[in-house]
Amino acid sequence: MNGNNNNRRKRPPSTPAPHQPPPSKQQAATPNIEDEFLDEDVFLDETLLPEDEESLILRDIEQRQAFTSRLSKWARPPLSAAYVAQSQNIIFQQLDIDYVIGESHRELLPHSSGPAAIIRMFGVTREGRSVCCNVHGFEPYFYISCPPGMGPDDISRFHKILEGRMREANKNNRVPQFVRRIEMVQKRSIMYYQQQQSQPFLKIVVALPTVVASCRGILDRGIQIDGFGMKSFMTYESNVLFALRFMVDCNIVGGNWIEVPAGKYKKSAKIFSYCQLEFDCLYSELISYHPEGEYSKMAPFRILSFDIECAGRKGHFPEPTHDPVIQVANLVTLQGENQPFIRNVMTLKSCSPIVGVDVMSFDSEREVLLSWRDFIREVDPDIIIGYNICKFDLPYLIERAQTLGIAEFPMLGRIRNSRVRVKDTTFSSRQLGTRESKEVTVEGRVQFDLLQVMQRDYKLSSYSLNSVSAHFLSEQKEDVHHSIISDLQNGNAETRRRLAVYCLKDAYLPQRLLDKLMFIFNYVEMARVTGVPISFLLSRGQSIKVLSQLLRKAKQKDLVIPNVKHAGSEQGTYEGATVSLTHPYFQSEVLEARAGFYEKPIATLDFASLYPSIMMAYNLCYSTLVIPEDARKLNLPPECVNKTPSGEIFVKTNLQKGILPEILEELLAARKRAKADLKEAKDPFEKAVLDGRQLALKISANSVYGFTGATVGQLPCIEISSSVTSYGRQMIEHTKKLVEDKFTTLGGYEHNAEVIYGDTDSVMVQFGVPTVEEAMNLGREAADYISGTFIKPIKLEFEKVYYPYLLISKKRYAGLFWTNPKKFDKMDTKGIETVRRDNCLLVKNLVTECLHKILIDRDVPGAIQYVKNTISDLLMNRMDLSLLVITKGLTKTGDDYEVKAAHVELAERMRKRDAATAPNVGDRVPYVIIKAAKGAKAYERSEDPIYVLENNIPIDTQYYLDNQIAKPILRIFEPILKNASQELLQGSHTRSISIITPANSGIMKFAKKKLTCIGCKTLISDGTLCPHCKGREAELYCKTVSHVSELEELFGRLWTQCQECQGSLHQDVLCTSRDCPIFYRRKKAQKDMAEAMRQLDRWNF
Amino acid sequence: MGIDGEEALLQRKQSTYLSLDETFEIRKETYRGQQYSQIYFARLHLMRTLLYSLVPNWKPSLPVCTVLELEGGKECIIVGTLYKHMKLKPSILDEYSKERSATPLVKPHNFMHPDDHLVLEDESGRVKLSGTMLLPSAYVTGLVVALHGKETVAGDFLVLEILEAGLAPQIELPLKSREDKYVVLVSGLSIGSSTSNPLQFQLLVDHITGHLGDEKQQDTAAQIVHVVIAGNSVEIPHGLLNNLASKDQSSHSDPIQELDILLTQIAAGVPLDIMPGVNDPANFSLPQQALNRCLFPGSAAYNTFRSCTNPHCFELDNIRFLGTSGQNIDDLQKYSEAKDQLEFMERTLKWRHLAPTAPNTLGKN
Repeated sequence: MNGNNNNRRKRPPSTPAPHQPPPSKQQAATPNIEDEFLDEDVFLDETLLPEDEESLILRDIEQRQAFTSRLSKWARPPLSAAYVAQSQNIIFQQLDIDYVIGESHRELLPHSSGPAAIIRMFGVTREGRSVCCNVHGFEPYFYISCPPGMGPDDISRFHKILEGRMREANKNNRVPQFVRRIEMVQKRSIMYYQQQQSQPFLKIVVALPTVVASCRGILDRGIQIDGFGMKSFMTYESNVLFALRFMVDCNIVGGNWIEVPAGKYKKSAKIFSYCQLEFDCLYSELISYHPEGEYSKMAPFRILSFDIECAGRKGHFPEPTHDPVIQVANLVTLQGENQPFIRNVMTLKSCSPIVGVDVMSFDSEREVLLSWRDFIREVDPDIIIGYNICKFDLPYLIERAQTLGIAEFPMLGRIRNSRVRVKDTTFSSRQLGTRESKEVTVEGRVQFDLLQVMQRDYKLSSYSLNSVSAHFLSEQKEDVHHSIISDLQNGNAETRRRLAVYCLKDAYLPQRLLDKLMFIFNYVEMARVTGVPISFLLSRGQSIKVLSQLLRKAKQKDLVIPNVKHAGSEQGTYEGATVSLTHPYFQSEVLEARAGFYEKPIATLDFASLYPSIMMAYNLCYSTLVIPEDARKLNLPPECVNKTPSGEIFVKTNLQKGILPEILEELLAARKRAKADLKEAKDPFEKAVLDGRQLALKISANSVYGFTGATVGQLPCIEISSSVTSYGRQMIEHTKKLVEDKFTTLGGYEHNAEVIYGDTDSVMVQFGVPTVEEAMNLGREAADYISGTFIKPIKLEFEKVYYPYLLISKKRYAGLFWTNPKKFDKMDTKGIETVRRDNCLLVKNLVTECLHKILIDRDVPGAIQYVKNTISDLLMNRMDLSLLVITKGLTKTGDDYEVKAAHVELAERMRKRDAATAPNVGDRVPYVIIKAAKGAKAYERSEDPIYVLENNIPIDTQYYLDNQIAKPILRIFEPILKNASQELLQGSHTRSISIITPANSGIMKFAKKKLTCIGCKTLISDGTLCPHCKGREAELYCKTVSHVSELEELFGRLWTQCQECQGSLHQDVLCTSRDCPIFYRRKKAQKDMAEAMRQLDRWNF
Repeated sequence: MGIDGEEALLQRKQSTYLSLDETFEIRKETYRGQQYSQIYFARLHLMRTLLYSLVPNWKPSLPVCTVLELEGGKECIIVGTLYKHMKLKPSILDEYSKERSATPLVKPHNFMHPDDHLVLEDESGRVKLSGTMLLPSAYVTGLVVALHGKETVAGDFLVLEILEAGLAPQIELPLKSREDKYVVLVSGLSIGSSTSNPLQFQLLVDHITGHLGDEKQQDTAAQIVHVVIAGNSVEIPHGLLNNLASKDQSSHSDPIQELDILLTQIAAGVPLDIMPGVNDPANFSLPQQALNRCLFPGSAAYNTFRSCTNPHCFELDNIRFLGTSGQNIDDLQKYSEAKDQLEFMERTLKWRHLAPTAPNTLGKN
């Protein structure tokens, strides 16, 4: 309702400047607003307003006031008296930690001066007040090993020399003293087993975090010290990020609760942030709570989910330099609530009202952008979420504001007068590959891009918001193609409303995904377990998490971690357990798979957390590794060391307990506890927290192994990782041997057991017994028996039985999964084309159906018949086109691809045809393979499915049979059928082929269309039938009309479904989502309907 | 056969006939990609005007709002299209569902579920309806109603009272002459199905044409002034039409030929209307268009033979008849509940909508 009133709101080209104050009456009426004005406009270059526009300003102020009052109802609740009086302890959950360089705090740190690093913690109190805590006094430092014989005098001399060298290297720096002090401390390096407990180290405390790197450089290269000569130093812990250093030293973990007692904090003299509570304190006064009990809860932080729409030009993906931002939809939810408490949409030009949504319309794009900024500031979200916001929405808004010259726009963070910065980053990881991305720093607000999370956490065939929500929320989302968006925008208030509804839905889905998949709980718990800030979890690789834990543990033990220099990229990250090193020990431990269809129960024996267990059992760690020369020198007794199958030597726990095993023990113990608590927990939020925690603990435990194997990681140690894998391999083989030795007819069992397959951490055994229950009993017996032969905590567990089991090859199998003898749990498949993304739906459906028939119905002949029917349908052209669509992502333009690919070629061709609807880089390109001239390459035969539908182009069914269906089907059937290929792919069902004639391609373009008899296709001059067919009139009519009737039915089912998805009966369906399974069918039905109706009309003469 | 010559010749009674099918005929309408929203839009506007005119008598003091104008706690009246959210309603998307459930669902004949709820929609938006006044089980998607109620804190609309369009104004029946006349209504002849019995149909034809029974019965037969065949006259096995080679197909027009022969006998004596039904060779969605006359080379020669639309509306001696071949009622039965078929029919009158579920669910098997 109130949306309508805003249509005519005008904002002058620039907001009123301080030197041109509006009449005092207004100023007095709205002192707060004016205050803000002054502050935010500091950076503005002003343009003077003509006199006659003063009335306009007056109106603007009035309207701004209306807008501000609307915003203010969404502001956070005001501070209580106790907070205002500073008489209350401030307890808050911190969400983001960073630092700035500022002047040392005079009152808190009377003895220091000059620039210093100030840590800023942003968070929320239990009551929902926003907090900015400026922490003073924490200084950056690192270690070097102290040269033997260095005394206190030498140290102060060394200090002077180092300071001098630093001054030389940083001439322009105004820092009064680079190296604050050098202390001698007793520490020990984490690397290698050492007999002496500690050695002297020098702790070098410097002025600023940035100084660490240059200081390290000097020490690396070498420094001349009197009496010691030229000496270069190995540095320790010199590459630890400052914020992480602070967290480690203060025992703060990501997302935990912090208390600052009353009297220990001071209200900041100059307010830098928009937070309700901003104060200064010393780092030593912080109380950090372990996330347990009361402190495991979540504060009611504000989550903003937003989406923008841009009006792209025809044929181009929207670019911020050209295309305006036309709508921004926002939803704000309090953590813990299931409904957003703010829903609004800001539109360019009028927009009809929407139920339950505040519609705000503006006449200029500038107003849209600035209102959004005001909205962000007033609502003050702690977390900003959305879909692809980091790569698209946020950078777009900022770059757009730049193009429009709105300098005051990008102040979206919590720091006053601080602009949001955009920079290009590349994130590379073994797991995810290299991704180009943009990093937008919004100070004090955590960004959580659901697209990034999805790509990290799930393997999906498509990551479009549509298919992700279809997958997780079982909802199809309507998809408006960006070429339609401009048309809607250029329509009227109604069409823009249509767009706004769509935009709102796009803003809402990320929030729903966040809730459904409990990302907040899982990620906060992950941050708590690993101790890194939440923002690291998405922006950095795995290794920082392990490093954080290692640093914490090392600190407890007085160990220091060397900064190992390694060749190659500095940014190298690694991925968990899939390190693909060429060393033979890194190859996954897989026993030969005896392919076949097993119709007796197969028991599966699993090692629980195999790699962590091995590390614990054999005490594998940096600090327990004995290097070969030491092994000779130290002359360690053999009972005190383990020699691993890969030949490394590690001491046993009686000499030195390893750090990694200790970290792992704690993680696994904590997981056990979390799981036990989870069983007890009643409250759904508590449950969510605990479940998130146990998951985080599991992932963390498993990533320790990968950390040691990452050659370009923080602290690689191939000795550890190769030992782990070699032990793993040994254990699998040991298990196989024990099972096959013990469970034999000679040993008193009914059958000889047979190990048919062994994966990285599991062994599949066929005990030969016919029932699931017997197999389970034997499985349990075997697990207990074999576990007894291992060193604790390595444990073999019996978990499940597969019955029946189709083993195709290594890492490819399918079976029914039983955990109780009464009923199977599910059908479990691995490595089979049920989820692969580059196959067409036909393959997926065929494979799923076959497995279903084979495994669940136990109907092998039925499955064979089904395959034959499908192939026959395919060759006879009776296949629904949507089943044949293959989709591939277009990652770069045609020239950048070295090898010609079908989807790239097609994108090029489509661009030539119609640039407006052609796919752009980043889109997924759907295509089908069509019949073409002999010898045409596969990539030349790709075609747009819509084009195929519209022009009746024949499909190359043989291609689908040979290149899509054949392999997966043969894989499934080869273990079952003797001559599967002949039986399935060359039988009589493949003989009958029908090909539709192209309507307007090739020679048919030159053909003239003439009326033909519906019955026999003879040319006729008018009417419906030739004289010959007249007698069959009724029969032919029936045929035509029944065709129409079938299509009408299909059409009805399809289109009403789409109406349902879009959630409205009174509006047209606009969706063009090519990810939707019924999209092509819908299109086809529409086209066929029109054609069939035309045919039918011929009868009405 | 002939009528016994000794008796006085019985004269069949006559009546005046006026077809009102024009509203159901689709003429010169080509399909250009229209969607369903226009149907709902037109329906809403038509019914809303009607309902608005009733509101002053119903609740004179209450304001009338659109869905958008609802304010929490304020009592008002809203008019819009009902949408019934149904958990069990079959969806075409299920054919593509990711995981096939291990135990296939038994296809139910009724898709009702206790969790079903109603939503009211107008051009401005949707609101979920709550309260015990409005039972979801009795209503279906597509109806236009007026509701009295208020928005709750949860954002639902608490319904206090419902106003349906109500019975249309009654046309006065011109039953002045006390003369009896009969109209025969018959459906489901299903010629060509395994259960159809040619003898029974022949008996029916003979009865109508007065070739059967004693004088009294023939006298009654002479009072039949009109015959309406309301759908499902033939049954052509589904799917056969497309898959067989053309030479086999002639056998499938046999039922139609048989029908034509029988209809010719009727049409020769009595005016006859034939409506298409769900199994007949006609289009699928409502309104079904008249069966093509080329199907009936024999009977079409008589001017007493009329191929009509479904729904079919006509007047005989100024008495109006309106009927369907029953798809609308069958569909209501799938998506709502009532004590019997008659109650469903009664509801369509009270709702003043013959087939509210079209095109949403009506038109799906």
